[in-house]
Amino acid sequence: MSRALQLRYRNETIEAALSLQGRSAALERDGRRLETTVARDGAWIEVRSGDRVRRCAVARGGRGVWVAVEGTTYFFEVEQREAGARGAAASADEIRAPMTGRVVTVAAVPGTEAREGDLLLTIEAMKMEFKLTAPEDGAVLEVACAPGDRVELGQLLVRLKPTAANGGGA
Amino acid sequence: MTPPAPRVFRKVLVANRGEIAIRVCRTLREMTIPSVSVYSDADRGSPHVRAADQSARIGPAAPADSYLNAPAILEAARAAGADAIHPGYGFLSQSASFARACGEAGVTFIGPSPQAMERLGDKESSRRAAVRCGVPVIPGAEDVPDADRALAEAKRIGFPVLLKAAGGGGGRGMRRVAAADALASEFESARREAVAAFGNGRIFVEKLVHPARHVEIQVLGDGNNAVAFGERECSLQRRYQKVLEESPSTAVTPKVRAAMERAAVALARDAGYAGAATVEFLLAEDGTFYFLEVNTRLQVEHPVTEMRFGLDLVRAQIEIAAGGPLPKPAAPRGHAIEARLNAEDPYQGYLPQAGTILALTFPEGEGIRVDAGIAAGQTIQTHYDSLLAKIVAHGATREEARVRLERALSEMALLGVRTNQRFLLDLLADDAFRTGATYTHTLESRSWPAPVGVPDEVLIAAGVALFGAREAAALERDDADRYSPWGTLGGWGRGAPPVPGSSRSAP
Repeated sequence: MSRALQLRYRNETIEAALSLQGRSAALERDGRRLETTVARDGAWIEVRSGDRVRRCAVARGGRGVWVAVEGTTYFFEVEQREAGARGAAASADEIRAPMTGRVVTVAAVPGTEAREGDLLLTIEAMKMEFKLTAPEDGAVLEVACAPGDRVELGQLLVRLKPTAANGGGA
Repeated sequence: MTPPAPRVFRKVLVANRGEIAIRVCRTLREMTIPSVSVYSDADRGSPHVRAADQSARIGPAAPADSYLNAPAILEAARAAGADAIHPGYGFLSQSASFARACGEAGVTFIGPSPQAMERLGDKESSRRAAVRCGVPVIPGAEDVPDADRALAEAKRIGFPVLLKAAGGGGGRGMRRVAAADALASEFESARREAVAAFGNGRIFVEKLVHPARHVEIQVLGDGNNAVAFGERECSLQRRYQKVLEESPSTAVTPKVRAAMERAAVALARDAGYAGAATVEFLLAEDGTFYFLEVNTRLQVEHPVTEMRFGLDLVRAQIEIAAGGPLPKPAAPRGHAIEARLNAEDPYQGYLPQAGTILALTFPEGEGIRVDAGIAAGQTIQTHYDSLLAKIVAHGATREEARVRLERALSEMALLGVRTNQRFLLDLLADDAFRTGATYTHTLESRSWPAPVGVPDEVLIAAGVALFGAREAAALERDDADRYSPWGTLGGWGRGAPPVPGSSRSAP
């Protein structure tokens, strides 16, 4: 039985096919095939191909799966095929909270122009301030937070309409 | 004159959380002194609560309501019958008013007197003490009232300059300003941070020494005399937070070490200091050094000194607080390196990370020490410091310690929260670290890319975890499969004790 594996690791989308049959696991990826035998020991999965054994710690959690091997830890989000493009929103820059924290100051004003690098707002977490700046020139469409707000990782804070997209971006 | 016999404390309350609270409880247990831990609502199930013989809630999650809440902590000490408080590091450890309140409540503060703390803990006052003791200081200006004055002082000293919070510690509240146009906005940010973090908005402007190493001397004082226990180099920092620390420093010659130790001891004696202190210096390439500040408490990185000198600094703090004598420095042995495992994403600006630890295993073996405050199943939140654990390696030589720490970090697995584990390994393997070319700007002057490319075996493991639940029974390993050297690793699994010795027992 072969299953499609579509995972997102940081900014990279990985597509592969995995066949699992008893202890045999075969991966097809980018035109190559790796045949292995796998064994599970608690939270560890040992993947053996020939003489080489890689011992991986695994856990499912959140929207994906965690794998640690030899000091490197990967978090893979399970990709969900999006139904249709995001349309108009695709031409706007969404500034999202890079961490859970508190909004300290808001410099962005809806209806004004921001230049690349302009300060939009500052967030504080663990007693450290982080500045969020405009990734490119654009018009501030929306400011979705106020000083003092508590914001969650990934929460929308500011929307920008990039100047470069005016008059015909994709 | 014989010193008074040490008074044994009846019970000690540990006014901290995380790894340092557990570490202090271990020493208390070895001294057969009953311990009390305190916790905020966010830490109800945290490992440090279980590390003590008894525990007490002190308030809501926010530090100001709990670990900085002096009345609640003093009340917990009173209710538990504790006659001494160990403050750990951070939180109230450098609060003279807390030390004073302890004294008024009849509880021994395990640390310096409020007067000594004020004298050395405040950056401006410690700088004056350094000048008085003939210790070189960096050109600068004290207590700058506003951005205009800061600009004038910066122009007089010459850019680049550093803005520092007078009440800061552990590098927090420090900002580097390269040129005049950025000064006003950085000054306001620094002041806001200082008020939020330390309740004290006073700012200090000083010249930036570049390139520089961060070298610090560990001292212990008994109120009259003081002794030094060598240096730690902590140059590898990001946002002024230390990442790797080692002892000895590759850049400190016997002559420089002797001069630094003399300076540190002079400062401690000048203040009539009793307890543990760390005197921090900036070391320039030509061997000249400048006094930075004094940390009037235990440092996060104290284990590298302990491993080299065979000394328990927490025990020394407790004995000094009880009127005991100073320990005699033994000859240091070998080399020690500490890595700080943080809940942060080094590949996205070191952003603090949160989440639930799904699985956890610690390294073991010869020459490895793990000081940790985490356990599987625990939810890491962003209320507090991002430090999860310290992995320390000791070896006969620097290279032996370095390779050992690499081995230990490769063995460790923590799933569910992003950490800087891979980054620590990359740093240890980097030529800059291997050759000892470590400076305070090393981390920020280069980019440290995330690992690229995912091995096929990792994808197979991910796929088995995702799809293999039904097949899992078929995958259960039998004993014939015990081919891996990893099979002997223990300490694994949800609900396992986070650290040896943390189980409860009757006082």
